Amino acid sequence: MKVCLVCSHGGHLSEMLRLMEAFEGHEAFFITYDSIRTRQLQRRYLLHNIGKSPWRMLRAAIATLRILRRERPEVIVSTGSEIAIPAFYIARLFRMKTIFIESWTRVVQPTGTGRIVYPVSDVFLVQWEALLSRYGKKARYEGAIV
Amino acid sequence: MIFVTVGMHTQGFDRLLKKMDEIAGTIDEEVVIQTGGSSYIPRNAKHFDFVTESEFRELCRKARVVVTHGAMTIVDALEQGTPVIAVPRLRQHGEVIDDHQLYLAQELAKQGKVEAVTDVEGLAEALARVGSGTVALVKDRRLVEALKRLLEEIGYGWGGEGKRVRRAWPSRVKIRMAGWVSRRYGAS
Repeated sequence: MKVCLVCSHGGHLSEMLRLMEAFEGHEAFFITYDSIRTRQLQRRYLLHNIGKSPWRMLRAAIATLRILRRERPEVIVSTGSEIAIPAFYIARLFRMKTIFIESWTRVVQPTGTGRIVYPVSDVFLVQWEALLSRYGKKARYEGAIV
Repeated sequence: MIFVTVGMHTQGFDRLLKKMDEIAGTIDEEVVIQTGGSSYIPRNAKHFDFVTESEFRELCRKARVVVTHGAMTIVDALEQGTPVIAVPRLRQHGEVIDDHQLYLAQELAKQGKVEAVTDVEGLAEALARVGSGTVALVKDRRLVEALKRLLEEIGYGWGGEGKRVRRAWPSRVKIRMAGWVSRRYGAS
């Protein structure tokens, strides 16, 4: 199965790398930001850092659309940051399954990205039980990275 | 050696860097700083903006203590068996959008995994206090197993065991886009 891993280049990538064992036996590729770390990844598409810019968000959305059209992954997995937003909404459009994993650094407060992608996620996981009450019924706690 | 790191965020963490650089001028121990997106340039400490993953891990391993903001670098350091002083970025200083790093640092401090310092004035004292005792970091296997299970379920429903594979769009579109995408974004 083809799996698309979407995350930004810092801690969100660190979390994803700690979950790589789960993708063994599947064909996985990354959509992430360009940086010294991400250039060392095997199969990756590198985008410009979106930050808070709506213009760059639009550009990233167009790029993500083209990448997903080309690669046609069955599943999209994200550990977060705003790069996941276009990917998750486009995935909805293309009927790809989506799994969002809220960051381990979020003990009691949800992320902005988490709140935005929650309605379109097929599976929504949090890494602290205390965070469950801040999301709806869909959110699940299945353990954490540490 | 004391290793200070503030992550990959474009927004730096000058409050921590300034204080650590000041401390570096007063102690004999070497202080190495990964400045990341910070604008402050250390005068006393050895510094660089970013290093590769393997060099980063090596620095975490060699250090007596790692001083970092409150995020995944905590795990990076603890995995190498190095004690951590977590200095959360705070919203009141405009360093981050909310106080999640503070809550994480407090929670981990409660579990005895890190030393949490919210006021940088307390750093010198915390640095002297932190010993070489290692914190046992147990990797939680449950999340990996849950993901494996989920992927299996999705694979079963999508094309496995007599089910029709759904095509989300015509393949000719794919072929037309393929060349453009690889030229533009350079997939390896």
